[in-house]
Amino acid sequence: MDIKILDSWLRDYLKTSAKPEVVAKYLSLCGPSVERIERLDKDSVYDIEVTTNRIDEASVYGIAREASAILPRFGIKTNLKPIKSASSEFNFVRKVSYLTPTVDTKLCQRFTAVLIKNVKISNCPYWMQERLESAGVRAINNVIDISNYIMLALGQPVHTFDYDKIKGAKMVLRESKKGEIVKTLDGKQFSLPGGDIVIEDGAGRLIDLAGIMGGDLSAVDENTKNVLLFVQTYNPVAIRKTSMALAQRTIAATIFEKGTDTELVEPAILEAIKLFKDLTGGIPEKNIIDIYPNPYKTKIVKISLAFVEERLGVTIPKKDITNYLKALEFECVWSGNELTVNVPSFRAKDIETSEDILEEIARIYGYHNLPSKIMEGEIPTRPANPEFNFEFQLKQMLAGWGGTEVYTLSLVPKEYAGEKSLKLKNPLGTESEYLRTSLMPSLILAAIQNAGISEKFHLFEMANVYIPRPNDLPEERLTLSEIFSGYSYREAKGIIEALTEKLGIETSFESVEAKGFAASKCAFIKCKNEEIGKIGVAENSDFIYYEFDVAKLAKLSPKVVGFKEISKYPAQIEDITFDLPEKTRVGEVIKTINNLQLTISKVELTDVYNNSYTFRIWYHNPNKTLTNEEVEGIRKEILSSVKNKFGGTVKV
Amino acid sequence: MNIKNQALAQIMAAGDATELEQIRIDYLGRNGKLTDLIKKIKDAPEEERKQIGLTINEVKKSVEDLIANQKNNFRESVRVWFDPTIPGIKPKIGHIHLITKTIEEISQIFGRIGFERERYPEVEWDWFAFTSLNMPEGHPARDEWETFFIDAPESPKYGKILLTPQTSSGQVREMLRVKVPPIRMINIAKCYRRQSDISHTPMFHQFEGLVIDKGISIVNLKGTLDYFAKSFFGVERKTRLRPYHFQFTEPSFEVDITCGVCGGKGCKVCKAGWLELGGAGMVHPNVLKAGKIDPKKYSGFAFGWGVERVLMMKNGINIPDLRMIYSTDLRYLSQF
Repeated sequence: MDIKILDSWLRDYLKTSAKPEVVAKYLSLCGPSVERIERLDKDSVYDIEVTTNRIDEASVYGIAREASAILPRFGIKTNLKPIKSASSEFNFVRKVSYLTPTVDTKLCQRFTAVLIKNVKISNCPYWMQERLESAGVRAINNVIDISNYIMLALGQPVHTFDYDKIKGAKMVLRESKKGEIVKTLDGKQFSLPGGDIVIEDGAGRLIDLAGIMGGDLSAVDENTKNVLLFVQTYNPVAIRKTSMALAQRTIAATIFEKGTDTELVEPAILEAIKLFKDLTGGIPEKNIIDIYPNPYKTKIVKISLAFVEERLGVTIPKKDITNYLKALEFECVWSGNELTVNVPSFRAKDIETSEDILEEIARIYGYHNLPSKIMEGEIPTRPANPEFNFEFQLKQMLAGWGGTEVYTLSLVPKEYAGEKSLKLKNPLGTESEYLRTSLMPSLILAAIQNAGISEKFHLFEMANVYIPRPNDLPEERLTLSEIFSGYSYREAKGIIEALTEKLGIETSFESVEAKGFAASKCAFIKCKNEEIGKIGVAENSDFIYYEFDVAKLAKLSPKVVGFKEISKYPAQIEDITFDLPEKTRVGEVIKTINNLQLTISKVELTDVYNNSYTFRIWYHNPNKTLTNEEVEGIRKEILSSVKNKFGGTVKV
Repeated sequence: MNIKNQALAQIMAAGDATELEQIRIDYLGRNGKLTDLIKKIKDAPEEERKQIGLTINEVKKSVEDLIANQKNNFRESVRVWFDPTIPGIKPKIGHIHLITKTIEEISQIFGRIGFERERYPEVEWDWFAFTSLNMPEGHPARDEWETFFIDAPESPKYGKILLTPQTSSGQVREMLRVKVPPIRMINIAKCYRRQSDISHTPMFHQFEGLVIDKGISIVNLKGTLDYFAKSFFGVERKTRLRPYHFQFTEPSFEVDITCGVCGGKGCKVCKAGWLELGGAGMVHPNVLKAGKIDPKKYSGFAFGWGVERVLMMKNGINIPDLRMIYSTDLRYLSQF
């Protein structure tokens, strides 16, 4: 959470000659991060980010306490001025005459309250308004402003009831039942989820949604005479649950949900009483009710010098460690090289282990004072071995042949999703509600978006598609897809043929019907009998689209290509032109010719003109030169087989 | 003199460059006619030697000049008009995406110091993304990740299915895979968060570093991150650590790098000369335990940074809006 603090307010608690910029710089290096300093006429405002674990820092006093530990490390003399509340005139007692509370101490670890009579509601003084407003809190009236002021100054939320609205001067602090209704002082009415902390008065009415927002029924207004000042420690889990469920994210709730210090309650109520006397003319009761069955017992954490030095990576004298920790109000007792640390109450929530103590030592020592060195030691030798290099090579090849890589969003609208696509519970919108099971719609969209470009282009993407599996995470199938705009089918297919040839994967193409492709304009790409991808003309468009399963390509592509002896005997090459009947699949003609004889080492289509197809045939025996008679024999075989199987005739 | 006239006549009669070359060899070659004469000078009477020498040299020079001249004539006679400035016929130029290039660069930088690149699920169990990282259900720290959840039944063991909001979800998976350290992992993957503005896209990439071994210290974390920053951004750049808080590391840091625009002096782009790179920290003992690694024997560090973020912070890229990185507009894509 971010807090804003006026420099002059900070100096109520912090005695230092350091300028705001200096305070900000060193706080950021060793403690909470000062994001910005806003310059005012005669003052400055610090904008400070307090991390969720350090709720003790989320106040003016909390920041002063940190600064008093940090600044001396940079040679700046600094003192923390303690909270000065004259406590001798008040008693903390278990019972009082003006209130009969029943408290569930699981929900409220410390319950204090005091009655303040004859309060005069008015505006708070200018200096207080200025401090509140610089922190982003609007001044309302002196009673409410005092509560907010104490919360910002000390980090302890404070509440005030109109005492005369509490029926029977009775309070029951309890867990809510599901469906109970409470109206908060902002006028909103809530039906409670159950398990929320509520306060019921003597008439059985809910008068407070404790720790989150006061109840409308007991709210202080301009006619209020007597105020019940109310300072508590609540169960953070219960507060968070209610605050999240009702979406009531008040400052008080965001503080309470992180677990406040029970020991902070006492100075907070005393400071508040003092302000009530000064600013409202109210007369406080001498007895403050205090229900606190389990007072803070000092938490102890142990840590060894060896551990500190190993994790820090440097040696550090014991007395320095003691000094750093003492400055943060930890007590230290060394026994040999073992240190016993007493944790102050305000740090009890975030300090659990020796690692936590280490962090305190390390940051006050200063991370900037540590050297920098890459670790020595063994290099791991057991990679899980995904094919990152292979994947990058695929991309490089496609880019080399003119493809442009795109990244499109994996989240797609319903019309792009497959039937069983996974659906998000909380999408940003219907445009990105499903996890895609194909890259095709995204690439078509990308191609359409570039329709204004007059030149032809092709776009490719390599990304996971997410195939659902029952009672398990989906299969994340890495897919390589490309879309061609302005290219012929043969040009697009040529890229696939070049790619698989470079990869050493023998492919065949089998005409099929497939979803998303124009009727009869699609083929499976197969290796042996395994389907590894598909290609075709996208439905209702001229785009050619193909996709591959990358894992299959990686598996089928040989890792090592063996050397083959270069034949001493040259191949004989000749072109034969056939007239083929309409609707002949040329791929099958080539396959047929190729399979006739081992000595036909290669067949390529070199030219197409109307129904005339020119094939280039390589006749080759690696062990000898073929005689003209032998070639003649093979040629005859080719001619007859093309004639018999396809009805093709040689064009003379 | 005879030889001279004979040679000149032959040169003039030569039909092409090959013939000329033959004539040159016949007269001026190692055993050429003129060369032979030069060799014979020493046999002539002493008083004539000087004169003979001068004469032969003169002849030699005339022959050489004429050959050169004639050669040039031949070249001129075959000259045709040719324009070497005419534009070439380019192959279609393709483009690898900036994100891919950045991921490759990051992998290589870490590969050089022994990191293994891994890949872990993008659609992940709550347990790996949060619970095992010391963030039990309902923990306020979870608020920082605007997480997408999948509408699917929960697993009794691993909880909800979600889109991983950070690559840290690979930490415990890597520990469970390797079992016995050392671990030096770099996990680069897509991540998803419910946010979209000038500096956020709902889908983005992170790279997660994880090192676990005996005696790993903050000094090693600094060393590794410094090395990365200098390799990726330039040797003149410096990094610093500031205290921060993450549930899955203790201590935790925010890592800053000196601003590349002002060189660390302070300017509009940076905060007093520094830019935030991302988070890092020493792996929390509870996370090691979740990965079945003994925190008493081993320690480690981790960091998870945005690929887009480091890319945008590179000098000279100047992309004003992070969302533009994912544009499919060819006019943008073909710039890189």
